[in-house]
Amino acid sequence: MVKLQIDGKPVEVIEGTTIFKAAEQAGVPIPHFCFHPAFAPEGSCRLCLVEIDGFPKLELSCSTVVRAGMKVSTQSPSVREARRSVLEFLLAEHPLDCPICDKAGECKLQDYYQDYGLTESLFREFKEKRDKKVKIGGKLILDRERCILCRRCVRFLSEITKTHELGVFERGIRTEISTYEEELVDNNYSGNLVDLCPVGAITDVEFRFKTRPWFLVRGESICPLCGRGCNIYIDYHPGFPRVPGTAKVYRIRPRTNESVNGHWICDFGRYGFVSRQQMNRCHKLIWNKADEKTELSWEKVLILFGERIQSLRESQRTDKIALVLTSWLTNEELYLAKKIFKDDLNAGKIFFADPRAGEGDGFLLRAERSPNSRGAQEIGFELKPARIETLSQGSEILIIFGGYLAEVFSLSELRKAFENIPAKVLVTSHLNGLESLVDFVLPSAFTTEKSGSWTNADSRIQRFTAVAPACGDIRSEARILTDLARELKLNDAFYGRLTDTAAIFKELENDIPFFRTET
Amino acid sequence: MNEKVLTQNFGLDHLFRIEVYLEQGGYRAAKKALTEWKPEQVLEEVKKASLRGRGGAGFSAGLKWGFVPKKTDKPKYLCVNADEGEPGTFKDRYILSHDPHLLIEGIVIASYAVGIHDAYVYIRGEYEVIALRLEQAIAEAYGQGYLGKNILGSGFDLDLYVHRGAGAYICGEETALLESLEGKRGNPRLKPPFPASVGLFQNPTVINNVETLANVPFIILNGAAWFLAKGQPNDGGTRIFGVSGAVNKPGIYELPVGTSLREIIFTHAGGLKPGRKLKAVIPGGMSSPILKAEEIDIKMDVDSVAAAGSMMGSAAIIVIDDRTPILEVLKKVAKFYAHESCGQCTPCRLGTNWIFKIVKRMAEGKGEQGDVDSLLRLAANIKGRTLCPMGDAAAMPVFSIAKKFKEELEASLKGKT
Repeated sequence: MVKLQIDGKPVEVIEGTTIFKAAEQAGVPIPHFCFHPAFAPEGSCRLCLVEIDGFPKLELSCSTVVRAGMKVSTQSPSVREARRSVLEFLLAEHPLDCPICDKAGECKLQDYYQDYGLTESLFREFKEKRDKKVKIGGKLILDRERCILCRRCVRFLSEITKTHELGVFERGIRTEISTYEEELVDNNYSGNLVDLCPVGAITDVEFRFKTRPWFLVRGESICPLCGRGCNIYIDYHPGFPRVPGTAKVYRIRPRTNESVNGHWICDFGRYGFVSRQQMNRCHKLIWNKADEKTELSWEKVLILFGERIQSLRESQRTDKIALVLTSWLTNEELYLAKKIFKDDLNAGKIFFADPRAGEGDGFLLRAERSPNSRGAQEIGFELKPARIETLSQGSEILIIFGGYLAEVFSLSELRKAFENIPAKVLVTSHLNGLESLVDFVLPSAFTTEKSGSWTNADSRIQRFTAVAPACGDIRSEARILTDLARELKLNDAFYGRLTDTAAIFKELENDIPFFRTET
Repeated sequence: MNEKVLTQNFGLDHLFRIEVYLEQGGYRAAKKALTEWKPEQVLEEVKKASLRGRGGAGFSAGLKWGFVPKKTDKPKYLCVNADEGEPGTFKDRYILSHDPHLLIEGIVIASYAVGIHDAYVYIRGEYEVIALRLEQAIAEAYGQGYLGKNILGSGFDLDLYVHRGAGAYICGEETALLESLEGKRGNPRLKPPFPASVGLFQNPTVINNVETLANVPFIILNGAAWFLAKGQPNDGGTRIFGVSGAVNKPGIYELPVGTSLREIIFTHAGGLKPGRKLKAVIPGGMSSPILKAEEIDIKMDVDSVAAAGSMMGSAAIIVIDDRTPILEVLKKVAKFYAHESCGQCTPCRLGTNWIFKIVKRMAEGKGEQGDVDSLLRLAANIKGRTLCPMGDAAAMPVFSIAKKFKEELEASLKGKT
């Protein structure tokens, strides 16, 4: 261990630590553009310079390794002056088009100018004219006037994806980031360049000109699109009170977790999440018996649903219940499903329908395209894929969670199989055609709207909470299941305790040792 | 005292051929070092000789060699910096074109001292004919057993390669040179680690200037004491001064380290043209701070020039007379560095260009009050804050010109709206 002082505070860090990291540890943030914890220090932005007692010049904090007894100042007049001058240089040639820049509000250049700049511009010359709308990737636009040449994008593509699509061209004031000829940035991690860019130089066509960062509420969540369970931020726009339909998720971004996803997420998750959150959502309760004029409500649906099951229960025919679950359900929901259908009702058939496995990319994206197969197995389910003959044979009620049956079988196959089942209920967050084949459709929540936990492919249990309120009739599966248990008057003492997901998890933890979290 | 060392044979017909070089006693030093001396003795002798780098920084060559780890499993490399790009500098090209074997002999001895078996000469792209001549000399040296396997029966192996640059000033900066030599974009590296431990292909590397290495054979032949006696106590030998600008006899002058700047200009280089007065001197290549006419009574050695507030640099002396507006000098300087900045770090990329924009505007007659102060402020904000020494190289001349000739520069603003 090495002891040193940063801004008068004593700090003790392990040998080989850089001043930057030591300062971070001491709670002293040092402004920086080019430094990123995932890359080797670059030392080109010159913003992280600090003063060290006994050193003739200011030194880079990002690359200078601590020595015992060092006295570092991150706020001395000369350090502040150096930062001011770096910002002055950058802003001299900067287009200052913040009013139309998507990064405005979360731009490092803006932030640091507030902290260390705040000077009049003394630049009397003409600014360089550069390309402002260069397509460098499927969804990426580069604005060369805004670029501060931190090279984070170039280093990401050479050090992380090793695809090398971007390079530095020309020199001096004409230095620019560019693709090699017309070959665009084309890899499953391209969206990270937008997050990496400290300014508004690289923007995402999916986010460009759509909203402003300051309208967005940031929530922490987990990406459900594969077994990795990348940690994410969901940026949610709560909507303008008088404009209906303005509330929505605009983007997700990686949330650093060195043990799961590092600093990145893949494009499959990034763009897949947002489109799933918005597209083909099921908002309303549906009763497909067209002649019924009854106002549909959750209470009514639960009564009708409950009656059906109750009658099977009374005549001891619960083996006629067929249940299709999905590994998209949370640990808590799957545990409830197990308690209700397996333990209490002893349902005859329990299958799983999951999205088809895709291809893993050897980095973050896993072949398995659902977030909780591991959890489902630990809870005690066999992940038996649904078989169409056994599904229909002798079933009196079919309860389906998720729409993935329609991905495994064609709708016409399913229609035929469903014909002889007298009662069918679908609990789904999305509409994909399957809803036309059942009697009741119960709208359920997407990740954004519910709380719970998933167990990723590496057996890591990761919790997430609701970021946005559910709209329409949408309810979480956990709530639907607990309400059903109450409706069926199953073990009141047990189900009565399950007031929220935390309470369900507590029971799960007590029941199955795997879920016991050591603290 | 004024006897030439490095340039003593210059002018001999076909000196660049190995036969002629051998006739003049060539490769005797290499033979002496490789067959009679241990590598440590060579290193010790060069250290004692106070041979300081001729490239610009003036760092002790012996110390530099000593920084390379002795016990290492990694290959070690020698890179010869022949990317002579500093404006006003044209000494190395004379050595390379007149006496390439002198350099090769220096390379052999230096490599032997440090335990290097692969050496590269990084030569600026513009030196096309010179590069061809050097390649020819290398082929001759291989042919006669001065390069290659088991040199002179000593058991020492050395391969020497020529690599041509592509015309970037920054590739004369040692770490950018390494990047370029590795086939990458010539951007300077972050230091530390220093090349002595992590250099070419991540291996220990010595980088020396052409003239520095050309001195080595003479140190071996004549001894450190002889070499030291030629120059100053802390800065031995002679230097090849390249004098250009407003003098009667521009050219190279090999003189002892410590010769007075006034003597070089007025005695050796023939003084100024009739009727002209000395206005200023840039004493060590364009990046060295300018000296006014009254500041030239100094000894030309690394420490004395530094004490006078400038630097010895590459000993390229640019003489400016009273007919040259200082704004024109400033414009040339500013344009060069703005053009040659590699663009990697913020202050150099944007600062040099801002400075050039101001100076250009001033030269177009659109200068404003406060411009000179802006130049001083911007140059100060570049100096000491860049990734490589080029920031200082760009800032120092601008700062010194703006400071020492503030009145003239401001006068040029007056009368023009």
